[in-house]
Amino acid sequence: MPLPAQPPALQVSGYGLDYETPSGRFAALRDIDLSIARSEVLGLVGESGSGKTSLAFAILRDLGANARETGGSIRLAGEELTAKSTRELEAIRGRRIAMVFQDPGTSLNPTLPLGEQLAEVLRRHQGLSRRQAWREAEAALARVALKTPAEMMRRYPHEVSGGEKQRVAIATAFACQPDCILFDEPTTALDIITARQILELFERLQEETGVASLYISHDLALVSRIADRVAVIHRGRIVEEEPAAQVFSAPREDYTRQLIASVPRPDRRLVAPAPAAAAPLLEVEALTVRYGRDRLLDRLRGRASRQVEGNRAISLAVRPGEIFGIVGESGSGKSTLARALAGLNPFEGSFSFEGRRFARPAELDRAYRRAVQIVFQHPDSSLNPRQQIREILARPLRLYDAPGAASLAERVEALLAEVQLPADFARKYPHQLSGGEKQRVAIARAFASRPQLVICDEITSALDVSIQAQIVQLLLSLRERFGTTYLFITHDLNLIRQIAHRIAVMYRGDLVELVEVEALAAAGPRHAYTRALLEAVPTPVG
Amino acid sequence: MSLSYFIRRCGYIVFTLLVVSLLVFGITQLLPGNAAVMLLGENATPEALAAVSSRLGLDQPAWLQYWHWLSGVLAGDFGTSLRTGLPVGPMIFGALGRSLLLAAAALLLMLAVAVPLGVVAALKRGRLADLLVSLVSYVGVSVPEFVTATIVLILLADPALRLFPASGYVPLGEDFWAGLHHLVLPVLTISVILVAHVSRMVRSEMVDVLHSDYVRAARLKGLRRRTVLIRHALRNALLPTITVVALDVGYLLGGIIVVEEIFAFPGIGRQLIVAIQARDLPAIQAGALVMAATYGLANFAADIAYAWLDKRIQYD
Repeated sequence: MPLPAQPPALQVSGYGLDYETPSGRFAALRDIDLSIARSEVLGLVGESGSGKTSLAFAILRDLGANARETGGSIRLAGEELTAKSTRELEAIRGRRIAMVFQDPGTSLNPTLPLGEQLAEVLRRHQGLSRRQAWREAEAALARVALKTPAEMMRRYPHEVSGGEKQRVAIATAFACQPDCILFDEPTTALDIITARQILELFERLQEETGVASLYISHDLALVSRIADRVAVIHRGRIVEEEPAAQVFSAPREDYTRQLIASVPRPDRRLVAPAPAAAAPLLEVEALTVRYGRDRLLDRLRGRASRQVEGNRAISLAVRPGEIFGIVGESGSGKSTLARALAGLNPFEGSFSFEGRRFARPAELDRAYRRAVQIVFQHPDSSLNPRQQIREILARPLRLYDAPGAASLAERVEALLAEVQLPADFARKYPHQLSGGEKQRVAIARAFASRPQLVICDEITSALDVSIQAQIVQLLLSLRERFGTTYLFITHDLNLIRQIAHRIAVMYRGDLVELVEVEALAAAGPRHAYTRALLEAVPTPVG
Repeated sequence: MSLSYFIRRCGYIVFTLLVVSLLVFGITQLLPGNAAVMLLGENATPEALAAVSSRLGLDQPAWLQYWHWLSGVLAGDFGTSLRTGLPVGPMIFGALGRSLLLAAAALLLMLAVAVPLGVVAALKRGRLADLLVSLVSYVGVSVPEFVTATIVLILLADPALRLFPASGYVPLGEDFWAGLHHLVLPVLTISVILVAHVSRMVRSEMVDVLHSDYVRAARLKGLRRRTVLIRHALRNALLPTITVVALDVGYLLGGIIVVEEIFAFPGIGRQLIVAIQARDLPAIQAGALVMAATYGLANFAADIAYAWLDKRIQYD
């Protein structure tokens, strides 16, 4: 008699979920079917609001009070979870199924030592004594390649780096050798190189333990690299499921095709070669920015100043009409530079714009500010929530006295049209707009003064890839029309290689390398850090 | 928390007390009529007044008087009461001790009631229990203590029932049960407002913490509900509450004056009222200074406790 086939580690079939909202029922998940075998990695890709995180919490049976399940089954190694009581689930969670959250900065308890947070799982599920659990936890920390596990056990979350925190969270998930682990964007909150290391750790542990993994991400390129199969989720439905290698090469559904077209690919350039070198539009000479107060008390006591250098003697030149990229990890000083050039940070050294030299923020006059505009990362904090869009846009129009005899309302309307927003948006408030629409308003505000240079500080980082692609298209068409020069700051190396002419790589306040993108593609990077960055970025398969 | 932080905080509190002492002294200087007039009455002869003034040092310049007073205070000598002729120090500290007993009992009762109330309200957010707690809190916050005291008196001090005595004080060392009995009504009155205030704080902090990622992570680790609630949620929710409790000590000191008067409790508030009525300047100065110092020290203790409990706060 043949042995009965082993059930999949995780199987979801015909599952549906609604959320009760003040404006009626909202369908979060519909007809979800998926199955993960032992040792398998299923990638789940979707944009924000697609329902991917809801699915993770539904599998773990941790749903809010307003959740209404519409049927279906969730089986963990053949055992039905939907019928389990809270008490039964408590015994399963952490032991047979675990989860790694997106941001280890918020998923670890700030007032408990890291070791406690790991050891408590072992005490709870494996009946270990306090001392045994502590020893076992220390060994678990060693397995996730933390260098000083004993010391790490006693530290608090705020005392270690983001990567170290995520290693602790991963060690906790793996602690009881569960059948299945759900990873909810475990590298999104981390820097590029750290993210790469966490990804390698995931691959190693996954291989060693053979745990079935559901890897949730918005990053199709990343998922196609690490998963066996990729499921694409859109508006609560899984629209397509393919072996990882085929998602990019042979997508079947329209939505997947759109998504793939939005994923930035360094090999598909979106701009023509830069115009022939003319006199630079912007020339930065030995610009240094220091942060922190020089405290009187410290100076009296002869202590060294506590100031931190955000930028160290940066020099670069931006040509007219060029897209100049600045990349680097968080804390590398790229936004510091942007803010200094916008007159928002005090600086030492100087820069020239169209031949006029500025050595102090106070010298930046109206003519400069008209010519140089900045767009920030988060439109939510850069747009006044209490003003209508027309007020937000009218202000720079009045200030810079844009040419033409049209009325202010007409000019606001024209400005909205430039960023492809309908005229009736003028009477809306920022909170009534989506993230992409808000960023369009912020771009419109920057273009109100017809600037020569626009500084884009991570303007697409908070957006989904499809929206990012639209915003990038918008910037390129505006450049076509007005001949605008961009200083484009981002940590997305794939995107910047698609649109920039030259890239400056920053690391801990220094500009370490300045390369022509075409040369980079042909000859590769020279500086070791640039190479490390490029190697850390997953590019699409195929 | 580093030693230098601790020392700096100590420096702040010394500075604060100095400023307070200046204010207290300055205000008593501004009061109409001086101590000599109060001692001898309105009809005293100018000669007698001058004699008494020079004996009390009132003819000296203000800064010198302040210096004498301050150096006396530092040496533990708060002067002599104009009303009783006895040293003010022992009188004030005796009263302060009784008031602190009252305050400590009120704080303990408040914590024992407010924290569970806040937690229950947070867990049953939007449901009946939450609404009831909110309602009670609003009423508690908005009713002044003399009204609360009256209600408490009517309900619990009915002479026919002989539940609790309506006024007076018996030292705990003398007769423990009688002493405790006398504390019940004033403590109850003071606690009502504190409970209302702190339970609202615990509720809102708890609601935030219950929605945090780390509480969800703790739940998804399969920890028992009680462990998640106490070890992960309540611990973090109580931290900001410490600061509120310290601020409430300020209220406590103000509220205690009214409550002590109503229940004829011989604490520092009552002492101060008597001193003011008798224009007993040294007693007023000492009372005000001691109350300000108590408030300052309570906040100091809260800062230190917070720094010790919340390791994230970096003090250099």
